[in-house]
Amino acid sequence: MSASLTKGVTGTAVNAPEHPYAALASSGKRATYCYQCVAGPDLLKVKVTDGVATEVEPNFAARGVHPGGGKVCVKAYGLVQKTYNPNRVLTPMRRTNPKKGRNEDPGFVPISWDEAIETIAAKLRAVRETGLRDASGYPRVAANFGGGGTPQSYMGTFPAFLAAWGPVDMGFGSGQGVKCYHSEHLYGELWHRAFTVSPDTPMCNYLISCGANVEASGGVVGVWRHANARERGMKRVQVEPHLSVTGACSAEWVPIRPKTDAAFLYALMHVLLHETARERLDLEFLKQHTSSPYLVGANGFFLRDPETRKPLLWDEKRNAAVPFDTPGCEPALDRKFTCDAVEIGADAEVLAQGSLEGSPSFVKLVAHMQPYSPEWAAGICDVPAATMRRIANEFLDHAQVGATIEIEGKTLPYRPVAVSLGKTVNNGWGGYECVWARTLLATLVGGLEVPGGTLGTTVRLNRPLGERLASVKPGADGFMHYPMNPTDREHWNAQPNIRNAYRSMVPLAADGPWSQALGPTHFTWMFLKETPKGLPTVTLPDVWFVYRSNPAISFWDTKALSETMARFPFVVAFAYTRDETNQVADILLPDATDLESLQLIRIGGSKFIEQFWESEGFALRQPVVEAQGEARDFTDIATELARRTGLLEEYNASINHGAAGVPLKGEGWDFSLDPKRAYSREEIWDAVCRSASAELSDGRQTQGLDWWKENGFATKPFAHADWYLYPTLVAQGLRFEMPYQERLYRIGKELGRRLHENDMHWWDKQLAEYQALPPWKDFPGEWEKSLAVMGGGAKDFPFWLLTARSMQYAWGANVGMQLIKEVADNVAGHRGVIMNAGTAEELGVADGDMVEIATPLASVRAKAVLRQGIRPDTLLLLGQFDHWATPYAKDFGMPSMNSLVPMTLALTDATGSGADIVRVSLKRARGEQ
Amino acid sequence: MTRWAMVADLRRCVGCQTCTASCKHANATPPGVQWRRVLDLEVGEYPAVKRAFVPVGCMHCDDPPCMEVCPSTATRKRPDGIVTIDYDLCIGCSYCAVACPYQARYKTDRASFAYGEPTPAEEQRFDAKRLAVATKCTFCVDRIDAGTAKGLTPGIDPEATPACVNACITQTMSFGDIEDPHSNVSQLLAENQHFRMHEELGTGPRFYYIWDKKEEA
Amino acid sequence: MSYGPKPWHQSNWDFRAALNFIFGGAGAGLLVVAAFSGLAGDALRAEMLLGMALIGAGLISVWFEIGRPLRAINVGFNPFTSWMTRESFAAGAVFALGLAAAWLGSQPLAQAAALTALVFAYCQGRILQAAKGIPAWRVPALAWLNFTTALTEGAGLFVALATLFDTPAKGVLAYFSLALIARGLAWSTYRGSVAKSAARPALAALDRAGKILIQFGTIAPLALLLLGLFAADVARIALLLAGVAALATGWQFKFVLITRAAYNQGFALPHLPVRGTR
Repeated sequence: MSASLTKGVTGTAVNAPEHPYAALASSGKRATYCYQCVAGPDLLKVKVTDGVATEVEPNFAARGVHPGGGKVCVKAYGLVQKTYNPNRVLTPMRRTNPKKGRNEDPGFVPISWDEAIETIAAKLRAVRETGLRDASGYPRVAANFGGGGTPQSYMGTFPAFLAAWGPVDMGFGSGQGVKCYHSEHLYGELWHRAFTVSPDTPMCNYLISCGANVEASGGVVGVWRHANARERGMKRVQVEPHLSVTGACSAEWVPIRPKTDAAFLYALMHVLLHETARERLDLEFLKQHTSSPYLVGANGFFLRDPETRKPLLWDEKRNAAVPFDTPGCEPALDRKFTCDAVEIGADAEVLAQGSLEGSPSFVKLVAHMQPYSPEWAAGICDVPAATMRRIANEFLDHAQVGATIEIEGKTLPYRPVAVSLGKTVNNGWGGYECVWARTLLATLVGGLEVPGGTLGTTVRLNRPLGERLASVKPGADGFMHYPMNPTDREHWNAQPNIRNAYRSMVPLAADGPWSQALGPTHFTWMFLKETPKGLPTVTLPDVWFVYRSNPAISFWDTKALSETMARFPFVVAFAYTRDETNQVADILLPDATDLESLQLIRIGGSKFIEQFWESEGFALRQPVVEAQGEARDFTDIATELARRTGLLEEYNASINHGAAGVPLKGEGWDFSLDPKRAYSREEIWDAVCRSASAELSDGRQTQGLDWWKENGFATKPFAHADWYLYPTLVAQGLRFEMPYQERLYRIGKELGRRLHENDMHWWDKQLAEYQALPPWKDFPGEWEKSLAVMGGGAKDFPFWLLTARSMQYAWGANVGMQLIKEVADNVAGHRGVIMNAGTAEELGVADGDMVEIATPLASVRAKAVLRQGIRPDTLLLLGQFDHWATPYAKDFGMPSMNSLVPMTLALTDATGSGADIVRVSLKRARGEQ
Repeated sequence: MTRWAMVADLRRCVGCQTCTASCKHANATPPGVQWRRVLDLEVGEYPAVKRAFVPVGCMHCDDPPCMEVCPSTATRKRPDGIVTIDYDLCIGCSYCAVACPYQARYKTDRASFAYGEPTPAEEQRFDAKRLAVATKCTFCVDRIDAGTAKGLTPGIDPEATPACVNACITQTMSFGDIEDPHSNVSQLLAENQHFRMHEELGTGPRFYYIWDKKEEA
Repeated sequence: MSYGPKPWHQSNWDFRAALNFIFGGAGAGLLVVAAFSGLAGDALRAEMLLGMALIGAGLISVWFEIGRPLRAINVGFNPFTSWMTRESFAAGAVFALGLAAAWLGSQPLAQAAALTALVFAYCQGRILQAAKGIPAWRVPALAWLNFTTALTEGAGLFVALATLFDTPAKGVLAYFSLALIARGLAWSTYRGSVAKSAARPALAALDRAGKILIQFGTIAPLALLLLGLFAADVARIALLLAGVAALATGWQFKFVLITRAAYNQGFALPHLPVRGTR
């Protein structure tokens, strides 16, 4: 214990006038927000004493509006350590060793901000002169922000700089597509404006959760809602190969075999369609609000009215086939019909016309589900048929078909049952089938987008961004419009705009600001090694920005990915600490971190995961303390970069248009920036604050930064009724596109033609997924096949290796926080690989023994953590560790499955996603680690 | 007479450790010291397995074994039930630590910090009085005393409430006066089935665990 | 580090605490046998000083373990309920009376000191019994085991030292034998009373130590005593071995008790929470 106790990290006494914190030397509590993970944002206060941040606590002033009582989860309590972490990069740095690689010491030396920004600006100016796109047509500048979009809530006005710049390739993923709810994102948005899906937890009574680990990933709001729900008596059945935190808190745990959830869900549907009286389903909902009555012809496409080309249904009242939107219909759902129609296939080709026979989509569905009995599923899922049958009946018993409820004076259907899906269920092969089955289960009981039921949370592909209800516009065939990427001959293009070719390969990914990360992001990395036929050669980016993203840890095949990254010629990393990705950086920039910087974001309405508010508005993140060292606010960095690259006017214009979250001009107010001036961060955010205030009050109030710093947040009401999409569809006379996926079927055919016309046959397996009624496929078998490709056999690699969420760590740089590690260690599995105790005994493995987990190509070592709550054939590695550069984390000795999972086309589905799962062997390790 | 008690509704707890972290913030405990923490408990054999999360810490017993054994009278019990430690009297013999059936007491012999050298936040809060003596959950007694002096109600008004209760994101933790039949904790205990940890030892803990609602009469 | 819910070993008291019981118990036992063995003069003085030195060594050892050694005097503030305070008072009395006895060469004072040494040894056992956090300590049978082993170790030490000069008196040997048997019985009773409450690793450690205590610390010394009784030419060596064995096995047992078998109770729930519905 030395004098350093009173001297602090800079060697000056904390309360001496010349100490950096003296400038902000004051005490009190400052309001801010936490959006480290997608379950936020949440509100908190930070206590400051003499300019030093000391404690985090809830923001109780928000408990009237925040659906989690104004509280924050454990991660936010790491923010004090995050600020004062001695391992932070606190000055800009420049690489001196030209060689890049895991074993190459970068030789970072401190430089001034001026040198750092000028170096970057010079490179960018050179790019502008050469051309924003390279010879292959790809943007020369790439950026990687990870975090499911949350880094945007920390990067100030940097998005305005990127918008000012022009084309940027944001498809160098750090896990997007394979480590997110990918298939759910795309199909969810298509079917019910559901980028992610949530049960209506406060009103749900029965929830089937296939691997949705909400008690770990649901954030404050999710966890708060579910705790209330189970105290109220909601029964949750957790269907998952291991007894996760969520399984622990559920009424029932069904230990299903990995990747067989589609069979489970199909079995439930089979029971509803084949073992229960038809009248118990919500027939009215099916007939009037879905495409169940639409007639399907012999070629698998809808039978359409010859004149209007609208899909036909059979009206029992008129005893005739009529276009679907004919008023006063009683649609038939039970038998075949013959009528005068036309059947139109891909590329608008007329496949048949005249007197055609067709069945209602519902009839086709019933026939399709016939083989998928619980007895059939039992062997696949390793779940007793009786269990599945009982769960299906419990679901139906709780559904209250026909019931209604009053929400804010509106009478809505009330269906207190829902199905939620988790990662590895709703992505990769089988993701389509699971998301479809889940949406259908909700549909059959009329529980889609109604109180108590299965809801979408937000939209990222449909516009306006984030506004579900407003994004509903009529499309063809009585469905919602969806901004599909074109597949017709005239508009499809093998010239992708970015390297992962989402626009060409994944029609569902749309083409908005978020679409880049929703294409197959692993493609970018894979194609850098070898671009498949038909796509322009994938090139290295001239400049690569990385922020709050560590693909060298968080993606797959991390060893190969690191090697690829090392070839990038110029990497600018906004660095919190040294890490595995900024190992290859040329410039490190220390951005002012969570408690040091300034930004205003939107809160409320409905957002990802379970954030359903009855308010909406804005929250401020303000500097709680002065930035440590030379760290600088991202807004200031962005402004300076814009100025030095000659883009200041475009940058300011972008801010004026809303790149900072709110347009600076509205009906009766104008806080626009003068495009020619370079503003300080306070000036910019003051203008944003005033605009936000004006937007909230319809122009009556224009509170500036000082008010927002004092109050932290402001909201106006958001209608509870607006959580549900059903009323909007009804009001617009639209139907849910369920069950028959005629549109997807057509698109798949067209995409196939386009690809084959261009001699591209490497996507054929994925094309097969475009089915109107998808059958079960041997999904587990895909991973066994992949073993063979790696050179191994299923018998030698008998274990399923999975990963699961750790609330304490994910996301952010929390692996470097001592506090986080300390408290996380209280939760089982943070210090090794979880395996079944019985299996361990068979293998002669004792608790704490070092074991080797291997594929035919790679292996990792971990300490065995013996548990009962996991299938004997399954292993679990929590989180994503395996750090070798990040200070503190690199000493954890915890591996990750990421070094074991290959990036392959074979394991990529049609939406471009994969799943975090791999077949491995396990044995006691020999020798020292 | 006021008697403070803590109630944890085990149906709600998800083991997130937010209370663990917030306690460390409020009380500036050094690394490894967790006056409040949450256990991860597994029971049964595959596939009939259950898992529960259990917040633990000082139970502020009616008949505290720690107080009985303390040779220096550093450990005392207030009339409102809170078991306190006078850091200035304590000789750091750790007898209380081995006497406690709940392993609630900690002693840190040497100053230790998260990353070796103290960060500014740790410097701010460092208290040499707490080195080499017994420490434990105090039910945030300073907050309670300051709060009640202002007329606030512990367990209801956040300013007067223990940090763990404030921070809990599932509303598992409740705090209040168990002698008041209308208090939040009294009502929770009246409406629900509950138990206390290691009750057979006769310590009379003031930490109650709810596990189910009471059957309707 | 994260502990529980399964029982884990206490990390508060280490070998320094163990030495308090080890030396303190043996020292007290030595004082008891020395004061009533008919010794006088320098021989008595030497035994008294040795006994007190052992008790003192134990207390100094634990003084090195406490967090605030400069406040050690505070240990005397709670005679009302704390056996540790009472132990400190008893030690005080032992030293006061024992030093006086040694100074004056007085047998009556030595015997008075010996009686307070008995109280001291009893307090040590009660210290452990009051530690409700450790199932292997918190039974009354442990206090008796601790007490009987103190007497046995003291007797064994006395006998061993005596053999360096002469064959010990029959009365002493009879006392030694009774102590050995009492300790053996105390172990057996103790083992029965912790069978259900102590954690498995604790019981395993206790059984290893207890086996040594019985085989080498009870049966062997008794056998050697018998041998000494019938074979006069090997009596002194046999008795020396018996004394050393009685002492050493008691010490190893106490070491294990404090530092290897001191698992806590962990945590367990009498009811599991009902999540939603049954």
